[in-house]
Amino acid sequence: MSSKIRRCAPATLSLFANTSARTPRACIVSQWLRSRGLTTVESTPSQTVPLRKHLKDEAKRKKAEAKGSNINIKAKTNPHSDEWELTVGVEIHAELNTACKLFSAAPATAADINGLPNTRVALFDAAMPGTQPQFQRATLLPALRAAIALGCDVQRKSGWDRKHYSHWDQPNGYQITQYYEPFAKNGNIVLRAEDGVQKTDLSGAQSISIGIKQIQMEQDTAKTTHHAPSSYHVDLNRAGHPLIEIITLPQIHSPQTAAAVVRKIQTLLKSVDACATGMELGGLRADVNVSVRQRGSSGNYSYGGVSGLGQRTEIKNLSSFAAIENAIMAERDRQIGVLEAGGVIEGETRGWTLGASETTRLRGKEGEVDYRYMPDADLPPLVIGCDLVDHLRTTLPELPDATILRVQQDYGLSAKDAKTIAALDDGERLEFMEETVELVLDKADDDQVDKTKVGKLVGNWVLHELGGLLATSNIAWADVTVSETELADIIANLQLKQITSRTAKHLLATLHELPPNEGRPSVEQLIDNGNLRLRPLSEEGYSALAGAIIAENPEMAKAVKEKGHKGKVMWFVGQMVRRGDEGTVEPEKAREVVERLLGS
Amino acid sequence: MDEFGMGSHSTNSAYGEVFNGLKDGPTGGKALSVGGSSGGSALAVASGLAHVGIGTDTGGSIRLPAAYMSLVGFKPSYGQISRKGVVPYANSLDTVGIVAKTVPDIWLTYGASAHPIIEILQKPDDNDPTCLTFSSRERIKVAMLRRKAAVLGSKWLLVPSNRRPEKNEVLIPRETRRKLQNRFLSQRKWTRRIGVPLEYNIEEMHPLVRWAWTATLSHLEGLGCEIVPISLPSTRHALSSYYILAPAEASSNLAKYDGVRYGARRDEVADDADGTLYSRFRAAHLGPEVKRRILLGTYSLSAGAMDNYFIQAQKIRRMVQRDFDSVFRMPNPLQEDAELNMDGVDFIVVPTAPSPPPRLRHVKTATPLESYVNDVFTVPASLAGLPAISVPGPRHPDHPWQPEVAVGMQVIGQYGDDYDVLHLADNYLTDFHDPNTLSRTQQTKVMS
Repeated sequence: MSSKIRRCAPATLSLFANTSARTPRACIVSQWLRSRGLTTVESTPSQTVPLRKHLKDEAKRKKAEAKGSNINIKAKTNPHSDEWELTVGVEIHAELNTACKLFSAAPATAADINGLPNTRVALFDAAMPGTQPQFQRATLLPALRAAIALGCDVQRKSGWDRKHYSHWDQPNGYQITQYYEPFAKNGNIVLRAEDGVQKTDLSGAQSISIGIKQIQMEQDTAKTTHHAPSSYHVDLNRAGHPLIEIITLPQIHSPQTAAAVVRKIQTLLKSVDACATGMELGGLRADVNVSVRQRGSSGNYSYGGVSGLGQRTEIKNLSSFAAIENAIMAERDRQIGVLEAGGVIEGETRGWTLGASETTRLRGKEGEVDYRYMPDADLPPLVIGCDLVDHLRTTLPELPDATILRVQQDYGLSAKDAKTIAALDDGERLEFMEETVELVLDKADDDQVDKTKVGKLVGNWVLHELGGLLATSNIAWADVTVSETELADIIANLQLKQITSRTAKHLLATLHELPPNEGRPSVEQLIDNGNLRLRPLSEEGYSALAGAIIAENPEMAKAVKEKGHKGKVMWFVGQMVRRGDEGTVEPEKAREVVERLLGS
Repeated sequence: MDEFGMGSHSTNSAYGEVFNGLKDGPTGGKALSVGGSSGGSALAVASGLAHVGIGTDTGGSIRLPAAYMSLVGFKPSYGQISRKGVVPYANSLDTVGIVAKTVPDIWLTYGASAHPIIEILQKPDDNDPTCLTFSSRERIKVAMLRRKAAVLGSKWLLVPSNRRPEKNEVLIPRETRRKLQNRFLSQRKWTRRIGVPLEYNIEEMHPLVRWAWTATLSHLEGLGCEIVPISLPSTRHALSSYYILAPAEASSNLAKYDGVRYGARRDEVADDADGTLYSRFRAAHLGPEVKRRILLGTYSLSAGAMDNYFIQAQKIRRMVQRDFDSVFRMPNPLQEDAELNMDGVDFIVVPTAPSPPPRLRHVKTATPLESYVNDVFTVPASLAGLPAISVPGPRHPDHPWQPEVAVGMQVIGQYGDDYDVLHLADNYLTDFHDPNTLSRTQQTKVMS
């Protein structure tokens, strides 16, 4: 389609090319989702709204932090922060975006909600006696992309181990994972204030870095559905799907930052196409390790090479950002409460359910499952060549931070707008914008046009005008019918002062409502048919129109003249635009005339 | 066979035991053990029901039945034959083996070196990740040729060719051809050095077995082989190591037989409050030996015992491998920088079992530990993944060959040296018996 597509993995690029002719903007991801019974109409709002909401909340929170007066927010901050220090480590399980399972050629079904149960199962996934694992090399690619994006050292040699536990969602009785020798180690992830890091964690710096201890590949389990009163149905479609487990170092000191780390990792994984679905669709789950210690003191425990920490507890299976934040807060307060009452924290596994105010004990140390880790004798060690890692490193899609920076620099968007446009609709909005900018620049007569100016204009139109239409008409981005060419035509006409911005908005709304068929009129046709082209009024014309309106509204005129209410000038301008024939009055010029007539 | 291959006498089975002879009636008490765990396959071959039998050899399951029933049992190097479809007992030890009446039958089943096209069982298989790939097999050939070149002191090795000369091809002059032929024949008779590990001469060895061992060695010496005493110091720990490692892997492999997916249908409710666990049914339908080994393995893998048992056993396994590597002349093709050991031996010849086949009634009263001792000579080769073949031993002049006094002799070679092991067994250890008249099973006269 265009060389502008940077945010998609190479594999999907060719698919773009095939489908581009069908609709103005074929969205392969949405089609893929729909083919798997996932309507983007439903899922997109649930993906986008929280982000916008998150940005708003972030801004609100920051404001409140600056003021320090908001009561709600105050309850969220740590009341004991002067005395107790919280330490958190996160383990994230992410479903890899692969075509097949980790050890069998059965098709992977990450997001297949409507697929028939137990239809995508190889003999090995069902643990038939006499079957052996066949490592699927292709599953390594998304895992490696994730490891590179997270700055890890990819290990030349890693191994496979069996983690034993007995449950029906694990047909073999063990999960194949990389316990003794993970394939990637020693990464790190950088978070800035915009990512939602708590201000106190930054301690004045621009960003903080959280270490990634290791990333390991492993198998997912089968899905269990409960059928009341006492039946459980097991669906093996998910059994054996490749996962990566990302383990951070215990270097996080606030619940907000922990959620920000997970959110950032999710964004990174999606941007390098390592992972297709996020937390909202169950593609990502997190466990957190929480410990507290008195400030200035040193605990007796050490995790992942970080020593001097307090006894930790683990909270398992958190499936939303809010759950992560709230569970850590609840656990922190519980631990502080126990310690202040003179108690001792037990190393145990705890659970947390949405809406709960406290974590609940799942099992203590004595009830700990002994996983009896053992190297899998069927699988040879995994050897990853440097050439593969280097190749993936050079062909890695642009990372979100780099995209945001580039959009700011090349197109002059504000930091906030750049972040929003890059994050919306899996980056498709950004692609749309970039395409439009190119087209507008092509249409411009001279080469002197400033790219950042056009970029900023197009960015506004894509984000706010088109975004506004989407919101009011309740249509998902994937179903937008306006093409890049059409928007570029509108903006080019606007720039060349062929139409007024009011007309431009009107045109966009008209095109937005037209169905995407063959008989779609071009922008030029619409302008000509509607007689919308700007026919500038003469100086006298402006004066006459302004004079008439001033004469009809003496009170208003008086307010401007005598009391100096400058704001009212724009009211007159608005009246002029409305009164004049469509596409004849330019607001800037009208303003000049009104101001001259009213002598202000 | 024994349930899940766990046993040395083919007696641990829900379907009843396999035995050689009659268990009931006046001569009932004389029935012999057929060895295990692949005793059924071996008995089928021994009694003429089948030409060849296959089975898995994890710690001697092919060689022991072969020794007990005067058959030839061959366990190739680990990874030579695909394990696709084999229900695993201990994956790192499981090897598909062949049992037959004569070595040529094994050649035919396994595939012959002189005819590389004939690869019946011995060939790469993508379905088994532990099966040797084509390139690994090439490395084995290189290691074999390195030894041969070093022994012959020549870079020129002559190998027989099946290729017929082309029509217009200029034939080599008769004189040169004769020279080459002589040289080829002389190369075939290169010295074979036989190692005799002193550690294998254990106290528990039956006198008949010891006699057969010495007789075999003098027979080989008479055929021009050089007999060299060697030492394999970690042998005495090998059996303990095996009985830690194999059950550990078994406990993992058998985790899938959890009473939910396999076994008979049941309608009782599960046993805990939430109705989510099934510990009550975990052991249903499993025999006592299988339960014993699962528990053993589960224990040795548990966090508290791992370091003392599993890790130690793995270390011993490494030592056993290193012991073998240090005595063999051929470099281990799996080691990157293995050197030729010019003082080394080509084969190790030891008995297969410490005694002739025991009576079934003795087997039943023996403790598990006593029956584990039967594997003492077969386990080291399994731990190191080496090729080994068991052939019927020589006749004792005072004791006519009877099923009760059957003794097996075992030839062990370096990893990948399967063809030479077969070659030695085929050409040097076959003149003890006539395979067609050898009495293998207890004959009972049916009175009518």
